Amino acid sequence: MSHPVTTNPLIIMLINMTVVFLVLTALGLVINLIHVIDPTRPKEKKQEEALPAEPVAAAEPAPVAEAAVDEKGISPEIVAVIAAAIASYGYGVEQIRAIRPIQRDGWKNSGRMRLSNRRS
Amino acid sequence: MELFNAFAVSLQAVWADSGFSAFEAGNGIMILVGLVLLYMAIVKEFEPLLLGPIAFGCILANFPRTGFFEEPGLMQAIHYGIANEIFPPLIFLGVGAMTDFGPLLARPVTLLLGAAAQIGVFVALVGAMLLGFNVQEAGAIGIIGGADGPTAIYLSIQMAPHLLGAIAVAAYSYMSLVPLIQPPIMKLLTTQKEREVVMEQLRPVTKFERVCFPIVAAIIISLLLPPIASLLGCLMLGNLFRESGVMDRLSDTAQNSLCNMVTIFLATGTGMTMNAHDFLVPQTLLIICLGLVAFIAGTAGGVLFGKVMCRVSGWKINPLIGSAGVSAVPMAARVSQVVGMKSKPGNYLLMHAMGPNVAGVIGTAVAAGTMLAMLK
Repeated sequence: MSHPVTTNPLIIMLINMTVVFLVLTALGLVINLIHVIDPTRPKEKKQEEALPAEPVAAAEPAPVAEAAVDEKGISPEIVAVIAAAIASYGYGVEQIRAIRPIQRDGWKNSGRMRLSNRRS
Repeated sequence: MELFNAFAVSLQAVWADSGFSAFEAGNGIMILVGLVLLYMAIVKEFEPLLLGPIAFGCILANFPRTGFFEEPGLMQAIHYGIANEIFPPLIFLGVGAMTDFGPLLARPVTLLLGAAAQIGVFVALVGAMLLGFNVQEAGAIGIIGGADGPTAIYLSIQMAPHLLGAIAVAAYSYMSLVPLIQPPIMKLLTTQKEREVVMEQLRPVTKFERVCFPIVAAIIISLLLPPIASLLGCLMLGNLFRESGVMDRLSDTAQNSLCNMVTIFLATGTGMTMNAHDFLVPQTLLIICLGLVAFIAGTAGGVLFGKVMCRVSGWKINPLIGSAGVSAVPMAARVSQVVGMKSKPGNYLLMHAMGPNVAGVIGTAVAAGTMLAMLK
């Protein structure tokens, strides 16, 4: 075993933390570089560029959804939750055209299913 | 009469060769320690997949006259795998195959949180040296703060093999206690407003980025820090299996059968280093205390750096994800998620915390490599 470079704990701490930060920063730069040279990236960029035009024209859908809210009785909180859930899958709010309740009674369906299961 | 004499002599010989005749109080204590660890693994479910074989290995190691390490056989082969740093890189192969670097690639700045959390390693190193450990022992003890079992074992074998048992047990025990250790520190160091910061959705990461990253990272880190080339190389190779999309069978083997097999060998072999002679020393208690200090300091370092990044980014980074920089994948990220959800229901931090979490794995390996280059 060779001799350590230093035995001063504070110097060891300082040098090691500096090296860790430098290496991980370098890795961060490499990740950014990979992102920049990514040949599949321009396609995404084109899509992103295309999108901002839409919100201006299609900035209305959100109010439309809210208008539907009052008519159909969906509270703004539920609209927000549904929008957030959709957004978590990578879709923009501007892509939501409408949020409407399905004209079905869940309890009725549940009862129907239970009955059909009993028959089978 | 002759039959009786022969019987008595045989019994004496059996007794003289048995473990009982050489059994010492220390062996009894260590078997009890093994049983307590087994209880924690099976009943309390503290990292059972690791603590279980470690505990059983500890019990096995304290049977006298087994000749495990002197005679060729399975136990010697397991010991060979540990003493020659074979198992930790193989575990990293499986870890790489299981790791999704996507959150890190989407927000590379979180690498800095993984770096900041390594402060725990060096705080423990300073503490260990102040308590009288030599520099190599202090380095091996400090790595407990990295919350990364294979790296802790890898470094301990090279710098302080006689402390391997205590370091491995401390590392895995504290890793299982992350949900108890971290939240009070996270709450203490952050304000309600900081904990409520909602982070922007991560950008999509392309397959090109996912495939390039392990290759480039392996090249750069291995060239910079050759002592950890086998660890980081295996981590990135496993990740390449996963991300390439054409090596599914290898990826499946690395993350399941191979990883499970090596875990059995590594954990049992680690437990078998816990013999009474090496473990029942005052240093063990100090190592366990220093391990806790390392975990606390690492968590605090990550959260405090998270607060800095929160300000610098204009309140776009929640400081709670900083605590995930201590590795312990994915438990530390889950803790960030749980604490964030308690502060603001609906604030999902899990994927954001996975960035610093996997950065912590790389950061701990880099810290180990730096110490090997500097202190060995």
